[in-house]
Amino acid sequence: MIAPATAISYPRSAPFTLGGSGHTEIIRSWLYAASLPAMAGIVLFGRSAAILIAASIGSAVISDFLLDRLTRRRQRSDTLHVVLLALILALTFPAQAPWYIPAFAAFIMVTIKTAFGGISHCLWHPALIGRVLVQFLFSQQLGLTFAGAPVMAPVLAPQHLVNGRLEIARKYEMSEYLGWREAGLETQTAQAFETVRPQQSLRLFADGNIPQDKGLWKNDPPLRFTPLLRDYLPPWGDTILGAVPGAIGETSSLALIVAGLYLIYRGHLRWQLPVAVIAGAALAAALMPISIGANGSYRWVPALVLEDGRAVGLAYVLFHLTAGQLLICSFLLGGEMLLSPLRARGQFLFGAGIGALTIFLRLYGPLDGEGYWAVLAMNSLVPMMDHRLKRPVLGMDE
Amino acid sequence: MWVSPIDSPEPNRMPLGLNLFSRRPGFDGGLFLADHKAVTARRPVEHVPLPHTLNIPLRHRVDLHTSIFAQVGQRLLGGELIAAPSNPDSIGVHAPTSGTITALSRVWSGHDGYLPSAIFTPDGADERVAAQVAWEEESIIAMLARGGVMCCNPREPAHALLRTAVSAGINTLIINGMETEPYLTADLRALVEMPGRMVDVACEVADALGASRVLFAMPDRHRRIYKRIAAESIARFIDVVALPDKYPQCHPIMLAKTLLEIETPPGGSTLDIGALVLSPGSLRPMADAIFDDRPMTHVVISIAGDAVATPGTFRVPIGMRFDALGAHVGLHADAPTMVCGGPFTGVQVQRGDAVVTSSTTAVLFFQATGRADPIGCVHCGWCVEDCPVGVSPVELSQLELQATCSPHLIPELRACIDCGLCTFVCPSRLPLAATIARCRDRFANTAGEAS
Repeated sequence: MIAPATAISYPRSAPFTLGGSGHTEIIRSWLYAASLPAMAGIVLFGRSAAILIAASIGSAVISDFLLDRLTRRRQRSDTLHVVLLALILALTFPAQAPWYIPAFAAFIMVTIKTAFGGISHCLWHPALIGRVLVQFLFSQQLGLTFAGAPVMAPVLAPQHLVNGRLEIARKYEMSEYLGWREAGLETQTAQAFETVRPQQSLRLFADGNIPQDKGLWKNDPPLRFTPLLRDYLPPWGDTILGAVPGAIGETSSLALIVAGLYLIYRGHLRWQLPVAVIAGAALAAALMPISIGANGSYRWVPALVLEDGRAVGLAYVLFHLTAGQLLICSFLLGGEMLLSPLRARGQFLFGAGIGALTIFLRLYGPLDGEGYWAVLAMNSLVPMMDHRLKRPVLGMDE
Repeated sequence: MWVSPIDSPEPNRMPLGLNLFSRRPGFDGGLFLADHKAVTARRPVEHVPLPHTLNIPLRHRVDLHTSIFAQVGQRLLGGELIAAPSNPDSIGVHAPTSGTITALSRVWSGHDGYLPSAIFTPDGADERVAAQVAWEEESIIAMLARGGVMCCNPREPAHALLRTAVSAGINTLIINGMETEPYLTADLRALVEMPGRMVDVACEVADALGASRVLFAMPDRHRRIYKRIAAESIARFIDVVALPDKYPQCHPIMLAKTLLEIETPPGGSTLDIGALVLSPGSLRPMADAIFDDRPMTHVVISIAGDAVATPGTFRVPIGMRFDALGAHVGLHADAPTMVCGGPFTGVQVQRGDAVVTSSTTAVLFFQATGRADPIGCVHCGWCVEDCPVGVSPVELSQLELQATCSPHLIPELRACIDCGLCTFVCPSRLPLAATIARCRDRFANTAGEAS
């Protein structure tokens, strides 16, 4: 007997009450979290940051709509999630980039997402694939070279936040740059300061390209870390606030940490992942060797270095933690639910891998964007981690 | 070291001042749920007025065969047999009050579908047959068989369950007063209203089983009930244990793991590890049958849910229709979702003429809300984090699309205890628990028969 199809109403299955956040609620809280570093970027880099974000989101939404039409998939993709990915993608570009670069990267991102058959089937973070592809295609316009050579980049002066123009910039040699607030008191003509990104200074130092100082007395050992900290890096407080050159969303450690704490509070990010990223990075920076002198000698465990009684090695590790892409990778890029392991212990391993790889690539890697490469590399290990790191099943003796 | 409340020299002390830094008994996963019991837990058990007719199912379970004993048109007293068991493992059906059988029919039940039934018209006199309490002559197992007592979890006749337990050689009887599922208060009310009787019947059942150890598990927030049970069980070789009411602590397998620290093998029951778990909901009709010679004609169930105006715990005659219950408690919604059983383990009933059977533990009415369409898995990992038995619900639910199941997943399928937490927490609204249950029927059960 065949019942008429319209008369069937299938009974619901067992849990008749559902709890916890829905999928939309998770994406919405991630959007709130990602908008915090975006706002910090707009404050610190002005209208060009806003233009980049708008171009990325607009391009992603339009190309997602067109590709959905083109592929005629039955399950439409989630526009809110595409907006979130495009926003995070825009956060990875430096503010002086032309607007069509994030737009093109967003197009690549959506194409890759569609080619995998939806975001939940992607192995690698689609936004990061777009980002690293664009890095090769437009390296000239992005001002990115191979990681060893320093490039000047601007950040707005404290008197000209939000409204200032990045083009009206004054170039600073690192040794004359005293810090964001001190430099702002000196000059009224320029609206932005151009300096070197802190992770590039750290790379120069690891390559042994920063000249060493003589000690105070004749028999003292030469000072290696002091010139780096004194002349080549901004004050540590600037890297916390984000008043250093770099990508829109990656410079402000404060905004990223607050965003991450919000996500952890909402339960939409496990604390194990960012803690593992930061711990792994700290450990790697503390242990990994840096080259000293011209004869190719290395100094292992730089965290233990003392110069003139100051713990310069620890300061060096702290700069590693707040500079560059480490924090955006630990909270917004690595923490993406779809592309991180299922279980907390897997996330711990995943995070530690991201942290250690980021520092490794920053010190010795050939390419810019070390954190993005680290996240992509660890993403490809996620299926194996899910498979290997299972909880023991009740009643089964292993 | 933390001294287990079971092994401590003073077993009746409530373990509140625990050593903070030691291992607690319990299990990984699980959730502390909003329990929605604030109103119903304080209301005493009420009697539902008898309806004009009852549609009494003539079988307690679809495979418990009976033969009709009374005649159509015959007047029966309360407690007289309507249908007698056809085999020793089955149990009979009794008249709840005095009245006549007007017709034989069939009736829809939540768990079993259609069952043969007798339409019974009470006459309002409520005359009962005289009780014959004959302690010396009959064993307790025979009294339970005569009283037609059905246990709700597992759904077995009480005498058959006790016989199975004796032959399985159990040494521990666990009374499961946890009831951590939301909305359910019948067991709690049994402990509040008749603690002495619960302890008495637990002792009788333990004697019948030859169990050397009786554990009485209670939620640790109900401190005064704990005190009363503990006072009742002084010098009776019962250990009263207070546990946090994390769901699914009420499941027999999780309770056995917490109390005995023995894990039940996948697909097994607690009888495999030498423990029988009974809930107060099962003890209550046992006490009636053993002490008062009253057969099981009523059940005490919770009627609750967000569509119910006056929720509570009610004593309901077997054979009463669900829509009559809904009319008695008053409903907010026009067409609520009717659930037979708890909100996490029950089944939806789509017909108002379904009746209460002896294994109904609750009747819940929920506002029929539109279900959000499931989307793809977002890989949040909440289901694997909250799973009390440690399986991967996402991975298992993907088996539905596959033709074969790899052999290492079959024990995982069997280990699932159908607690429903994975569906509860899923942000994509995937029906994980139901899918796993289907896959288990498809793969694990057939493979078990083949091997």
